[in-house]
Amino acid sequence: MSRVSHPFLYIWSNAQMTNQVSPVEEQEKLLDEALNLVKAQAFQMKRCLDKSKLMDALKHASTMLGELRTSLLSPKSYYELYMAITDELRHLELYLLEEFQKGRKVADLYELVQYAGNIVPRLYLLITVGLVYIKTSTSLRRDLLKDLVEMCRGVQHPLRGLFLRNYLLQCTRNILPDISETQNESEGTVRDAIDFVLMNFAEMNKLWVRMQHQGHSRDKERRERERSELRILVGTNLVRLSQLEAVTVDDYRRLVLPGILEQVVSCRDAIAQEYLMECIIQVFPDEFHLANLQPFLKSCAELQPGVNIKNIIIALIERLAAYSQRNEGNINLSVVMEDGKEQEVQLFEVFSDQVAAITQARVDMPSEDMLSLQLALLKLAQRCHPDKLSYVDRVLAHTDKICADEKSNSGKTHLESNMPVFKELMKILKLPADHYKNILTLIKLQNYAPLIKHLNYNGRIMIAVHLINDVLETDTLISTPEDVESVLSMLDVLVKDQPDQPTTEPDVEDFMEEQGLLARLIHHFKSDSADQQYLILSAARKALQGGGARRIQHTFPPILFHAYRLAFLYKDLRDQDEMWEKKCQKIFQFCHQTISTLVKAELAELPLRLYLQGALAISEIGFANHETIAYEYLSQAFSLYEDEISDSKAQLAAITLIIATFEFLYIYGAENAEPMRTQCALAASKLLKKPDQSRAVALCAHLFWKGPKDGQQWALNEPGRALDCLKKAARVAQQCMDGGVQAQLLAELLGRYALLRHRGNRALTAGLIDAVIQKIREELANLDQSEEVEQITKHFHNTLQHLKNRMECPDPDGLGSEGLVLS
Amino acid sequence: MLVLVLGDLHIPHRCSSLPPKFKKLLLPGRIQHILCTGNLCTKESYDYLKTLASDVHVVRGDFDENSTYPEQKVITVGQFRIGLIHGHQVVPWGDEESLALVQRQLDVDILISGHTHRFEAYEHENKFYINPGSATGAYSPLYRTATPSFVLMDIQSSTVVTYVYKLLGDEVKVERIEFKKAQ
Amino acid sequence: MSFFGFGQTADIEIHFDDADKRKVAEVKTDDGKKEKLLLYYDGETVSGRVNVTLRKPGSKLEHQGIKVELIGQIELFYDRGNHHEFISLVKELARPGDLLQHTSYPFEFANVEKPYEVYTGANVRLRYFLRATIIRRLTDIVKEVDIAVHTLCSYPDVLNSIKMEVGIEDCLHIEFEYNKSKYHLKDVIVGKIYFLLVRIKIRHMEISIIKRETTGSGPNTFTENETVAKYEIMDGAPVRGESIPIRVFLAGYDLTPTMRDINNKFSVRYYLNLVLMDTEDRRYFKQQEVTLWRKSDKSRLPLHNPHLPQTLSHPAHSSTPRQLSASSEDNSARGVSPLHPENSIQRSISPSTNEDEKRNGPSEMEQEKPDIITNKLSNTHIHNEVDDATEQSVEPSEDKPPIAEKPVLVEKPPVSEKPQIAEKPILNRPETVEANSSQ
Repeated sequence: MSRVSHPFLYIWSNAQMTNQVSPVEEQEKLLDEALNLVKAQAFQMKRCLDKSKLMDALKHASTMLGELRTSLLSPKSYYELYMAITDELRHLELYLLEEFQKGRKVADLYELVQYAGNIVPRLYLLITVGLVYIKTSTSLRRDLLKDLVEMCRGVQHPLRGLFLRNYLLQCTRNILPDISETQNESEGTVRDAIDFVLMNFAEMNKLWVRMQHQGHSRDKERRERERSELRILVGTNLVRLSQLEAVTVDDYRRLVLPGILEQVVSCRDAIAQEYLMECIIQVFPDEFHLANLQPFLKSCAELQPGVNIKNIIIALIERLAAYSQRNEGNINLSVVMEDGKEQEVQLFEVFSDQVAAITQARVDMPSEDMLSLQLALLKLAQRCHPDKLSYVDRVLAHTDKICADEKSNSGKTHLESNMPVFKELMKILKLPADHYKNILTLIKLQNYAPLIKHLNYNGRIMIAVHLINDVLETDTLISTPEDVESVLSMLDVLVKDQPDQPTTEPDVEDFMEEQGLLARLIHHFKSDSADQQYLILSAARKALQGGGARRIQHTFPPILFHAYRLAFLYKDLRDQDEMWEKKCQKIFQFCHQTISTLVKAELAELPLRLYLQGALAISEIGFANHETIAYEYLSQAFSLYEDEISDSKAQLAAITLIIATFEFLYIYGAENAEPMRTQCALAASKLLKKPDQSRAVALCAHLFWKGPKDGQQWALNEPGRALDCLKKAARVAQQCMDGGVQAQLLAELLGRYALLRHRGNRALTAGLIDAVIQKIREELANLDQSEEVEQITKHFHNTLQHLKNRMECPDPDGLGSEGLVLS
Repeated sequence: MLVLVLGDLHIPHRCSSLPPKFKKLLLPGRIQHILCTGNLCTKESYDYLKTLASDVHVVRGDFDENSTYPEQKVITVGQFRIGLIHGHQVVPWGDEESLALVQRQLDVDILISGHTHRFEAYEHENKFYINPGSATGAYSPLYRTATPSFVLMDIQSSTVVTYVYKLLGDEVKVERIEFKKAQ
Repeated sequence: MSFFGFGQTADIEIHFDDADKRKVAEVKTDDGKKEKLLLYYDGETVSGRVNVTLRKPGSKLEHQGIKVELIGQIELFYDRGNHHEFISLVKELARPGDLLQHTSYPFEFANVEKPYEVYTGANVRLRYFLRATIIRRLTDIVKEVDIAVHTLCSYPDVLNSIKMEVGIEDCLHIEFEYNKSKYHLKDVIVGKIYFLLVRIKIRHMEISIIKRETTGSGPNTFTENETVAKYEIMDGAPVRGESIPIRVFLAGYDLTPTMRDINNKFSVRYYLNLVLMDTEDRRYFKQQEVTLWRKSDKSRLPLHNPHLPQTLSHPAHSSTPRQLSASSEDNSARGVSPLHPENSIQRSISPSTNEDEKRNGPSEMEQEKPDIITNKLSNTHIHNEVDDATEQSVEPSEDKPPIAEKPVLVEKPPVSEKPQIAEKPILNRPETVEANSSQ
């Protein structure tokens, strides 16, 4: 059995001691004087010992010890004095020990020292001599120990008594009987040692507690500080008990623990109770605690109202949880029940019952403390009973009840962030999240999601954000529609408007961040089965669609992109799934609905882009009837463009994207392509700004002339109409008033002419290109030098250089640039 | 001089996050410039880039709501003029010749574009073209099996050494391509 | 005696039989010093020889007879002229005639009844002496030699304890218990104080042993109280329910057996005074008479190993829980009401004028026998400051000024009167009664 190492050291707070008797300097002076006297007397004592004048030495020792009778010193100074004096007493002890071992005993020494008239020096001497007697003759041990601890009762002054008894405890440190049986009864057994320490403990504790009730109430704070400095003296008794090797679990149960607890409970002092209970937990081995959980916890319930009982129980729970974990949860927990019978129980059950009893018994216990206890229980359940989710759920159910009570007591609908219970509930909610790191486990806990609802809006947001971050970090996949529903219902606060949300507009950045997280979460709604994935997406959309425009613009795009991917997946599965085309159609129906929801939410640019993305996907997948559906998507995008987008810059961006998307699609049916490209050209030419018009119309040329794909010309190529676009673009460019803009647009057009001609459009003749070149030259010649003109010139020359290169090494596939004059 | 080139993250539309393996590689303080081809989509992604280097250049992608990003941009690093454009405006998409139009217009030595979600790096008429692909390997109907990738350019006066980081399966593969500026 | 330088004169010596073997006892003399006297007990024969030595050998000494007397007498100091002889035995040693040479006369007082113990007190002295007288016409030649007499007693081993509940209403209720009511002089008082109610701030508690010497009778009664011992048994303020052990070794103090009505002349009685002092220096005390008696040393010796502590037993402190109502001690004087005079603690409001307090003055502390080692310890602290002063005369710079809250210094004797304890040899135990008898 591993013994707990000694947790105590004599460390005194450096806090300034303000003594009622004297100010700080006075303290130092008094202590100095006392120490000087001690030094002098100790010197005399040692000199007498050297000369074997024992009686004189004793007299000096006694005078020295007389200094400990003072009432003037603060505990800190008294401690220093005590240390100095007991240090000197060691000389006397060693001398006597040596003499005794040589056989030169002094008759009646134990009696002689008792002639000292004053009790404090008398008892120090008695202990010192008693120690020597015990060390030289163990047969006196039992009786002497009993006598010493009994005689010390004479010092009832708390400070002096505490130190006297501490001296007793220190002196007897290594000589307490520590065997369970003995041949010689007078040597004593561990039972006697237990009695001895227990009695000393009880007396010290009484003295310590008594300090609280001395002096004026205005000094309460100082007194409590001093008491806290002295508590170690009391606690050392428990350490000593824990160091007795011969104490068995049974001894602990029958003698040690009841002895301590009786004193702790009956002293009715909150400071003592709290400290000592924690001491017990700290100093005794885990096995002892395990075997005595019930009596210990029962005593907890009997402590004073002021005692922070939760700290005690939490300390115990954490200690045993750690122990259980070290033993990988495989320990057999035999707990001695009230009837004395051993019974194997679950650690959690014991604590759960006792905590319930305690919270019930202590009506004054604040809710947050009850929650702290539940938190500790939760930890215990998680660490020691990883397989028992029901335990966790039980704690959460208790928590739910406590929160509900708190709400009804405070008359609030939610727990507000400034309520102490709020913080505790947050911890309780975060603990399983952080422990399991798996939201799927959390949704299995019946009482988890309802608990979140106790929090106010901000609290729910915090938890939701925490939960999502966990999912993202751990890359948890949520792979059934039911789980998706549960998860999203747990995150309700992010999914839709809340009745209690702040009436003021939320911080845009925060809101976007929260919704962004929710959107990222959707990528974790994933199943290996395509059909299941479809159900998941449907479930997600269903859950999310109530979120309003502000939310669905963030949450729907991920659903859509997943749907598009799913369609591709069905295409990959086409050999295994005959229904793949139908399913693709169904998906794109689903997507269409989804996007139109966004449109209905008065969004424009986003659904436009999503339609275009849909069209691209449809076209790429190429399932039956795909052109019609793609056209539908394109036309929806186009309608949005026409009806909803009015900003000129946005218009240019949108029409450019529509043109580029349309260009990318290979649509073979003229009935779909024709109206679309005509509409695009028309729309391009209707842009507000001339440069925009020119550029957009020029791009439309690509809708009428595409390069060959897979060696095949596009059936719908119309070289003339491509040329028309470019011509129109040039015309519009020339309508621009700014010569620089004109030159710029023409330089761009030149590149496009060359490119399309290179792509085989014979309608774009060298002459036409040449004409553009000449036109640019003219324009440039009329322009004053400027950075802009320089850039245009550079662009122009780059293009000319490109054409030159082309002429020098013609592309075998493309149309040549012969006939161009590039000088 | 290390220049990080990346883009088309599409968080949270198409992806939940950058691959953790990339995040581990991208440590703050090593990189001097970041050139982003766009489609960061959210401010957090931009903020993330800002944590890696203070000099961040972004152009607008088709899914960028932030309209303050320019359509195209020229940055000079060392002796190189580098053009940056997302590429959805370049018709036809990803077309070499069409990109060359932009290169000539911007008069740059290196043209960086994205949009296709496919890594590319090639020389064309003595100019260098880079498409870093999608750093998240985000879905694209153009090239559906997108591999997460980004590019790190080490620019030393007139030489640029390009390292391509690709996440293949669970492993990050790095390739090296060198480009020297024509004198 | 010769005033003119002629005429015969003689010296008388009294030799006791077995003088070298007989025990001696220290007896205080008139002037406060101590001398060692041969010790006799009641009924013992006092025998020996009276030797007469002529100063001028060869010339004769004319006398009217030679006698030896054994006298026991009581001297009352206020009545110096009157000695009350309670024993007066005479043996004629020689008829009137002439002494021509040194002569030795045996004498024997067989089985003399010696009813009282020698005693020297404040106002009275009881002594025994032998007086040899050569009766002459003008001046007798007289020689007196004191002897010591101890009276021995024996009481049954089991003696009734003293147990009493006393108090001041609503202020202080205690129960005290002394294990016996009769103690021999080397005995140990073992007892306990149990606090039933404490509403005062007690600073400390002590047991003092008070010797009360009463002389005379009627209107001429003189009472002298002397605090023979002060022994602190508790430091600090106890609370209700505390039980404080008492253990006082009587051997350390200068005590005599209790003497009651000795020859109708005087009494010496002893009281245990339990004194509680509160923080405002008020004293609360309860006196209880105990009987002291002298025990024969012989019975004690074989049982006693001086190297082992003897008195470790405690009367039911911890072993049995105390029951307030169930004291069945048959003979214990146990009062029910604290208001009963027997059961009331006396409280002295002004300690300085208290008689008891006055008696604790310096003079009493001079009773210390510096050569008895135990006394050094017992008085160390009561004489705390004095010891320091004497000790520190070597190192005067370290002289320590008295601190205001030091224990009461009423007992402090003037420095000049204090014997220098430290100068005495230590390990040579002086011959005391006990040491002598253990040879």
